[in-house]
Amino acid sequence: MFGKKNKNMIRPTMEDHIVDTFSWVFCILLFIVTVYPFYYVIIMSLNDGVDALRGGIYFWPRKFTLDNYTQFLNDAKWITAIGVTVAKTIVGTTLTVLFTCMVAYGLSHEGLLFRKFYNIILLICMYFSGGLIPYYLVLRAYGLLNTFWVYVIPTMFSTYYCMLAISFFRDIPADLKESARLDGANELTIFLRIILPLSKALLATLALFAAVGQWNAWSDTAFYAPGNKSLRTLGYLMREVIIQNQVDTSSRQAMMHASQHSTVTATSVQMAAMIIAVLPIMCVYPFLQKYFVKGIMLGAVKG
Amino acid sequence: MKRPSSTLREFRRQYSMHIFVWCGMLFLLLFSLIPMLGIVIAFNNYKIKTGFAGMLQGPWVGFKNFADFLNHRKFGVLVRNTLSISVLKLIFAFPLPIFFAIIITEMKGKIFKRLVQTASYLPHFISWTIVAGILHAFFSTNTGMLNELLINLGVITDPIPVLISEEWYYTLAVVSEMWKETGWNAIIYLAAIAGIDPTLYESAQIDGAGRIKRIWHITLPCILPTISVLLIMQIGYLFGANFDQAMLLGNNLNLARSEIIEVFVYNLGLNQGRYSLAAAAGLFQSVISLILVIVANNVSRKLSGASLF
Repeated sequence: MFGKKNKNMIRPTMEDHIVDTFSWVFCILLFIVTVYPFYYVIIMSLNDGVDALRGGIYFWPRKFTLDNYTQFLNDAKWITAIGVTVAKTIVGTTLTVLFTCMVAYGLSHEGLLFRKFYNIILLICMYFSGGLIPYYLVLRAYGLLNTFWVYVIPTMFSTYYCMLAISFFRDIPADLKESARLDGANELTIFLRIILPLSKALLATLALFAAVGQWNAWSDTAFYAPGNKSLRTLGYLMREVIIQNQVDTSSRQAMMHASQHSTVTATSVQMAAMIIAVLPIMCVYPFLQKYFVKGIMLGAVKG
Repeated sequence: MKRPSSTLREFRRQYSMHIFVWCGMLFLLLFSLIPMLGIVIAFNNYKIKTGFAGMLQGPWVGFKNFADFLNHRKFGVLVRNTLSISVLKLIFAFPLPIFFAIIITEMKGKIFKRLVQTASYLPHFISWTIVAGILHAFFSTNTGMLNELLINLGVITDPIPVLISEEWYYTLAVVSEMWKETGWNAIIYLAAIAGIDPTLYESAQIDGAGRIKRIWHITLPCILPTISVLLIMQIGYLFGANFDQAMLLGNNLNLARSEIIEVFVYNLGLNQGRYSLAAAAGLFQSVISLILVIVANNVSRKLSGASLF
């Protein structure tokens, strides 16, 4: 496609020009396609729901209101869900990061005996699994189903994060550990006081991945805790609402009529819920970006 | 070879390391290895009331569950959906990150480049739940913004039922996947491009190669091993589609196209309690995936020298 054009263009400056323009146009389009949907959801969440049914809102709210948010936040069901989601994100992320790093630190020890055996177990668990059904039955046998712990204990260790952490810890100079050992520190102290503070990039990457996973998850509730209403998470409730709205084909007039005594509609509250669900991610992620790009590379190059 | 006594001494010196490792091994035993053993229920007729121990006992039925799955009235549809969605993703969504990585490397504006990159990773961190909500905001037949805009412009008279019709589901699945993952998947190619020796470009420039020739003859060959490895992995995923996506974008109205093997396993096992049949369906899928990876790996090693293992 470009090759033919290239033959006609004799001056390289002209070709430069085309490549530059093309890359600008492509990137601007991509930027709009990525960012505008989020922007649109924001303005819709800030617009009167019934007014929004008239359509024509593309750039800014027409009838500004916070009703969608107050409606959403006054619903006890959603408040419980936010609480559960925050709790499982904090507890789950802390457990995953600390436990996985601890195991990885042990495995990264130079001259570790039985390393081959440990690595084989790790690789088997990385590439094979019993599948959903046996896993479910095992969690059931452990009595974890429909408890809060089912959110945070089975995710405590990840073979993939462990591999990332091992390659990271191997790069920490052995002298540091050796000198601490000579000063009489035990291994747990060395791990907590020396290794972890030196591994901020790793911790940030793993924490971001683990936290986003916990925050976004809906299937853990659907699979392992569907019977306990007080354990419903944001993701799980959101899925229920969205699926319901998806197949709702009632006309705009019917919707306006149905909500004539109110300023909100199912759609407009859904927009507010979506913004609340993505807000934490949007706030944290730009700051952690430089870490996770580095973290991924680490895995890609050595893994 | 070390003498046993020196091994023992070495072990004593590093025993706390082994305690750390054993914590992890215990976890893997409980949450990974025991569930793997549990796959035996695919070969018996497991009843939930026999409890945990019942998984390893009887009545053994051999491959009957697999035969039941292969003869299930949904089998053909499930395989068709799973394979079609994956193959379409491989054709349309796989090359896009490569293209995007090359374009972004050619970009001159530093600040805008950074902005585009940051924005492009964002959808990866957003759950499929939110993506489904966004799609609803744009494509819903009653409140969808794009449908409304197109009607107002007179392009269409009736809203396009993107989210609720069988005909649109494959397109929806592929395009939404592209929207969500292109930027993220480009990271690995960006790193590969950044690792190319810049003198290659300089000497090519001196020899009179233009930008496009440099991309074609230097950038692409240099990232070919990366492309091969990712392609092998992708082929390994061919016999499995995205469960989250299918559960969020699938509904009663497009079920004939959106139901994939994973969804079937979930509904049959966790909702209907037919554990053995569901486990057999899951195992069937895993075994085929494993075969696909091994074949793709060997083909790639023979053709280009790049392989996963």
